[in-house]
Order: sequence, then structure tokens, then C-alpha cells
Amino acid sequence: MIKDLVCALDYSVCAEWALALFVVAFATITYGTLRLSQDASDRFASIPLSDDVEDPRS
Amino acid sequence: MATVTSTDVPQGGSGDSHAATDAGRMEQFSYDDSIVRMFAAATIVWGLVATFVGLTVAVLLVLPGISSGLEWINFARLRPLHTNAAIFAFAGNAIFAAVYYSTQRLCKARMWSDALSRIHFWGWQLIIVLAAITLPLGITQSKEYAELEWPIDILIAVIWLFVFGGNFLMTLIHRRERHMYVALWFYIATIVTVALLHIFNNLVVPIGTWASIPIYAGVQDAFMQWWYGHNAVAFFLTTPFLGLMYYFLPKAAERPVFSYRLSIIHFWSLVFIYIWAGPHHLHFTSLPEWASTLGMLFSVMLWMPSWGGMLNGLLTLRGAWHKVATDPVLKFYVVGVTFYGMATFEGPALSVKSINAFTHYTDWTIAHVHAGALGWNGFMAFGMLYWLMPRIFQTKIWNEKLVSLHFWIGTLGILLYIVPIYAAGLMQGWMWRAMDDTGHLMYPDFIETTQSIVPLWWLRVVGGLMYFSGVVMLGVNALMTWLHRPSEYEVPVISAPRLSDEYHAPGKPRQSPLEGVAVLEMSKKIESFAWMGWHRRWERLPVKFTVLVTLAVIVATLFEAIPAFLIRNNVPTIATVKPYTPLELAGRHIYVSEGCYNCHSQQIRPMVSETKRYGEYSKPGEGIYDRPFQWGSRRIGPDLAREGGKQSSFWHWTHFENPENVSPGSVMPSYVHLLTEDMKYDAIAPHVQAAAYLGAEYTDEDLNDTAAVAMRQAERIAAEIVEQGGPAKTYEKQAVALIAYLQRVGIDLFAEETPETAAEGTASEADSEEQTAMGAGDTADDQS
Repeated sequence: MIKDLVCALDYSVCAEWALALFVVAFATITYGTLRLSQDASDRFASIPLSDDVEDPRS
Repeated sequence: MATVTSTDVPQGGSGDSHAATDAGRMEQFSYDDSIVRMFAAATIVWGLVATFVGLTVAVLLVLPGISSGLEWINFARLRPLHTNAAIFAFAGNAIFAAVYYSTQRLCKARMWSDALSRIHFWGWQLIIVLAAITLPLGITQSKEYAELEWPIDILIAVIWLFVFGGNFLMTLIHRRERHMYVALWFYIATIVTVALLHIFNNLVVPIGTWASIPIYAGVQDAFMQWWYGHNAVAFFLTTPFLGLMYYFLPKAAERPVFSYRLSIIHFWSLVFIYIWAGPHHLHFTSLPEWASTLGMLFSVMLWMPSWGGMLNGLLTLRGAWHKVATDPVLKFYVVGVTFYGMATFEGPALSVKSINAFTHYTDWTIAHVHAGALGWNGFMAFGMLYWLMPRIFQTKIWNEKLVSLHFWIGTLGILLYIVPIYAAGLMQGWMWRAMDDTGHLMYPDFIETTQSIVPLWWLRVVGGLMYFSGVVMLGVNALMTWLHRPSEYEVPVISAPRLSDEYHAPGKPRQSPLEGVAVLEMSKKIESFAWMGWHRRWERLPVKFTVLVTLAVIVATLFEAIPAFLIRNNVPTIATVKPYTPLELAGRHIYVSEGCYNCHSQQIRPMVSETKRYGEYSKPGEGIYDRPFQWGSRRIGPDLAREGGKQSSFWHWTHFENPENVSPGSVMPSYVHLLTEDMKYDAIAPHVQAAAYLGAEYTDEDLNDTAAVAMRQAERIAAEIVEQGGPAKTYEKQAVALIAYLQRVGIDLFAEETPETAAEGTASEADSEEQTAMGAGDTADDQS
């Protein structure tokens, strides 16, 4: 039965699923990134330059 | 910040001195820079070794005779040593130096355990030494960049995941900087993904202490290998070096990274995309078409985030370009990041099927790889080392002019390496497929192409020598700088407050704009989700972040891996393809040990120029007993997928003795040792038993009287050799086993079924047709 099930699967759709999954994940991350304030972005960008501890983004 | 000498700070422990233990109160600690010094020194030492071995193998290609028949220094055995030394010894130690230096500073914390740091260092050096010993001895799994045998693989997994990964994660957990800077994200992705790749690509059945066969076979094995192989480049040579770039480039330029937002998108894009791209290494092979297309699609998509990262790096120098003219460290970074851009533009281009059809198996790939390795990895590592040296040795660099000289000779060396090799790749691509007006190959003799590019290989030697000279300069400069170090290093004591367990954002708590508005509760939840506060929290939680990165990689992998694991059910069975005989299996082991895959492919693509040159194209069903697969990735010599029966056994014997005797102009070295070393018939049985354990059908006699069965076949081949004018008693020598294997390669497809197996064959064909109807790979009709 398992063999029948496995053989019945059409793996070729994996490509389309993969692309859709990526697009959703990428769009979500990009949206979230763009919502980061300029102030927070600037502070975190300068973390390597400074020995001071930075507040996390608000 | 206070400064004390090295004797004043806690040693051998966490290095933390708690002025107060309560959250929010100041704590004092020092950074462990001695581990950075150790990894930096190892980077330089192994950089010298890797480039020297690289130069050696380049010379061996143009002067194969200088190995004088000594198998330990043949091209095919030393090439894996060169690649492993460059990737895991040179680049690996550079990564660790960067991680140990930057992580402590970005976390405002000493590494969690000094003991684990040192176990990591010595464990990794032990792995490298074991690789340097075993590879020239022919102990190999024959998978590119995963050649090391299973005992070393286990050691790598332990050292990488538990020692390095554990120490790193615990440092993140005990950090004093709330936000995890983006470089740390790249390090996290590196650690978890490399561990996954390494473990799953190295699942084997041990045959002895230093031999094994993979649990995967044929097309499945190829799929897993290039899932690993491509992502080894991605997550060992790209993501950690991007972490390095995001930390050290702003430090050297004294400017914050151009766009932090872009760096976040860069990170997630690479993590999501890279893991799918491996199958582009297998275009036009027996791999299912959908997997190949998926690999191409995601590879092309890689171009954008990669260039986003490159531009982010170069634009970090905005307003600081005047420094580039005078600061050699920045010069190294500018050229390094530029090569990253070049390589990540070229990589997606090469993954496009029509381009790949031309470049695959040619030297173009070698030029591409070296543009990335020498330009991106090498120069980023050199820039980091020159920036670190005055800081970790606490003295001025011994000779600034030598740094500049290294930069220029290294840059010119790269160009003199890659330009001729690109040209060689173009020549190979054109000559291999050139047809005359009558539809025949214009250069049917493979040697013609090889001889045409030998002058270009000589230019590569010159380029490689220049690059190696630059690394020698680095070594001299580092040694002299170290000799001028202070008698005792100063150890700055840093003060920073411990992080509280709970975080409350400064300022007023956020209020939703929908607060008090008459909307559905669902709308408020969506608004809250869209505010992306959850992602802000992830960036502060190392364990959760690590788990999520792991999940992203695993999910992407499963989309490819699950079908790959099930491919076996969809590989059309070919009734005439049978397991290798015991002697052929032993010969195959010799083929693997000698590293023949480094020069010879065993995969004929369905292209006219290839089928005319080599014969019928390769089918997925032909490789079901091939553990490990031997498709190779380049053709310094001709493809061997249909080698069986093409030449007489005595021809092979003579060819091993001295290839030029039967193939004038060949660049293959002598394998005379195979003609002199005795065949160990008693050692064949474990190979047969392991193959049987993994599903190959063998008779009781094959399994219980293996040596006698193998000897009988060897005697038949030895008799043939005598009939063909060769020496007597060749059955005693290893060459006979290899000849047995080579005479078997690719002939089963054309074998006629014996009456006894016809009935079984009918059943297999019926099964095959049913499976083929499910839509994978080739059709059984091709297999007649």
C-alpha cells in the first residue's frame, strides 16, 4: 500500500510548491525588514563599530 | 575600559569577573584573543599548504611524469588534498578566527568555554592532519569535498556541532548585547546547515576502519552529493565569509554597513534559496528533469540577493574610497567583494541549462571556482588577517609595503590563473562538440583537445605561483610581526551590564492604531502580526533563531530530499543490469581509491556530440549498484561510462604501465604500482557483504567463497592478457581487478538476457513500465 502511495505521488509538483513557499517566505521577510525604523536600522548597523551596548529595536 | 596584563585576568575559565550578578548591573570580562591568534596562525600555515599543493597539482597536469609512478603524489590523489586543504584547512581556520574574534565583540562576552575553544582548535587541526595522511594513501569516499572516510567524518561532526556549535550557541545565550548583529545570523546558518549537510551526505556502511560504501546509490547518491557539494560552497565558503564581511569591513572602513535592512534581506534570501540550488550540477544527467529545473530556477534567483550583498559591502565604503587608495586591508576587501559579485553572477549563469550544457565538465568550472576561492575567500581572509595582526599581536605590522606587494601579486596571480583557464574551458567546450559538414566530430580524438590547452595550463602554473608567492609574503610578515610582539599581551577589561531575562522596550509600549476602533478582532490580530514584532523577538532569542534557521533549511531540503529518497521507486529497472562481481567490486574500489573520478566522468549526456564520442547516453537504471556514484564533474580525460569492451584487457594493462605507450600525448600519470602490487583476494569479501546488505543480489558462493570466485574471474582475464601478448600471472596483481571493473562499465545495458532470467526480466519490465508511468526519469523503452 505504501509503495502504491509513493508511486502515485507526482514529485514534479515539488518545484511549484517550493517556489510558492519561497515567494511567501521572502515577501514576509522583506515586508518585516522594511518596517524596521531608520533609527533602529542605523543603531544596529553601527554595533560592530562601538563598544557600547545598543538597545534592541523598538 | 581598563587594561590589565594577561596574568591579571581569569584564565582557563569563562574569563568573566562578576562585579555584580544582578541583571542590569555592570560586569567585567575580557576577550579570549589567544584562540584568535591560534586560528589566525593556522589559517596562514594551512593557506601555505593548500596553495602549495594546488601549485603542485597544476604542475602535475603539465608534467605528469614527475610523479615517477609514485601513487601518493599523483594528480588524482593530491587534487582532493588541495581542495580539502583550501576549503576546510585554510578557509575553515579563517572562518574560526573571524568567528572567535567578532562573536565575542558582538556579544560583549568572552567565549562561553575556553576549554571548548581549545578542543575545537586542536580537534580541527587533527582532522586536517588525518586528511593530509589518508587522502594521498587513497583512503577516500570519492565524493567531492566529502572525501574523508567515516571515522574522520564522525570526528568532524563532533568537533563542528557539539564543540564549536555548542560553544558558539552558549556564548550567544550569555551575551550582553541584546540585539544579535547580522554577522551572527550568518554564523548560525553556517553551523546548523554544514552539520546537516555533512551528516546526511556521509551516511555509509563501514567496510573496515578506512573504507565504506554510501547507503545511497547511483542517481540518488549523485543527488545527495551535489545537494551537499553546492551547499558546502554556500554555507562554508559564502555565509561565514559574509558574516566576516559584515563585521570586518565596517571595522576597517570605520563606517557602518551601508544598509542594515538589505543585510537582513540578504541573509534570509540566501538561507531560503541556496539550499535548493544543488541539482544544477546535474543538468542533462539521469536526474529527474523537475529537480534539475528547480535547481536552475533557484540558482538564477540567487543572483539578486548575492548582488544585494555585494553592493551592500562596496557601498559601505561610501565616503571612504580615499582610504582604499592607501589602506591595503581595504584593497583586499574591495577586490574580495568584487570577486564575490563576479562569482555570484557567473554561478547563476552557469546553472542555466543551455550554458551549462557547454561549460559542464570543462575547465570553465575550474576558473569559476578559483575566481571565488582565490578572489573572494582568499582576499577576504587576507584582509581580515592583516587587519587583525596589529590587534592580536599588539604591535605594528612588520612591513606595510610587503602587504601592498602581496595584494598586487595576488591580484595579478588570480587574473593570470583564471583568464587562461576560462579560455581553456571555451576551447574544450567548442572542440568537444565541433562537427564537420558531414555530421562527424571534428576532433574525435580526446587527446587533441587536451594538447590544445596544455599551454594554457602552463599559464595557470605561473598565475598559481604568483598567488602562492603572495601567501608566502603573508607568512613572512605574520611571523616577523609576531616576533616583535610585546613580552606580555595586554588584556583589556570590558564592562557591560548583564542582560535581564525579560526585555521591555524603551519608551512607551506600542499602541495599535486599531485600538478602540470598531473592527473585527481578527483585524486587530492581523495588524499586530503585520507589525512584525515577532521577528524583532526572534532577533533577540538565539535558540529560537537557530531553530528557525534550521527549520528553514530542513523544509527546503525536504522538498528535494524526500523525492530523492523515493527516487529508487521511480528509477526504471533494467533487467540486464546486474550487481558487480566480487572482482569487479574490488576493481571499483581501486578506481575510487585512485581518485579516477577527478579526471574521468561516467555520465554521458543526451547530446549528439557526446553520444557520437562516447556511446549511448547514461540511464538512471544503470547506476542502481553504483555505491558511490562515479559521475565526476570534469573531463581531463574522456568519459568512461561506456568503457567496457572498448579496449582489450592488455591495452588497459599497458595503459596503466605508461599511458603514453598507447595514448601519445596523454597527461595521465603512470599507475605502474597497480602492476606490481599484489591483489588481496581475502579483502574482497567485506565489499560484497556490504553491497549485499544494501540490496544487491549475490549467490551464496559469492558471499561465502568470495576469494575463489574473484580468483576464477581474474584467471580468465589474465589468460586474455596472455593471448593478447601480455605477461603471465597478471591475476596476482591489482590491475586485473581494475581491468575487470573497466571492462564491465556500461555494458549491461546492451547485454542479452539469458533464458533463465527471461522470466524474471519480464516481471521486472512490467514493474518498470508501471513505475515509469509515474513520471520519473527515463523510460524503460530506452533500455533495450
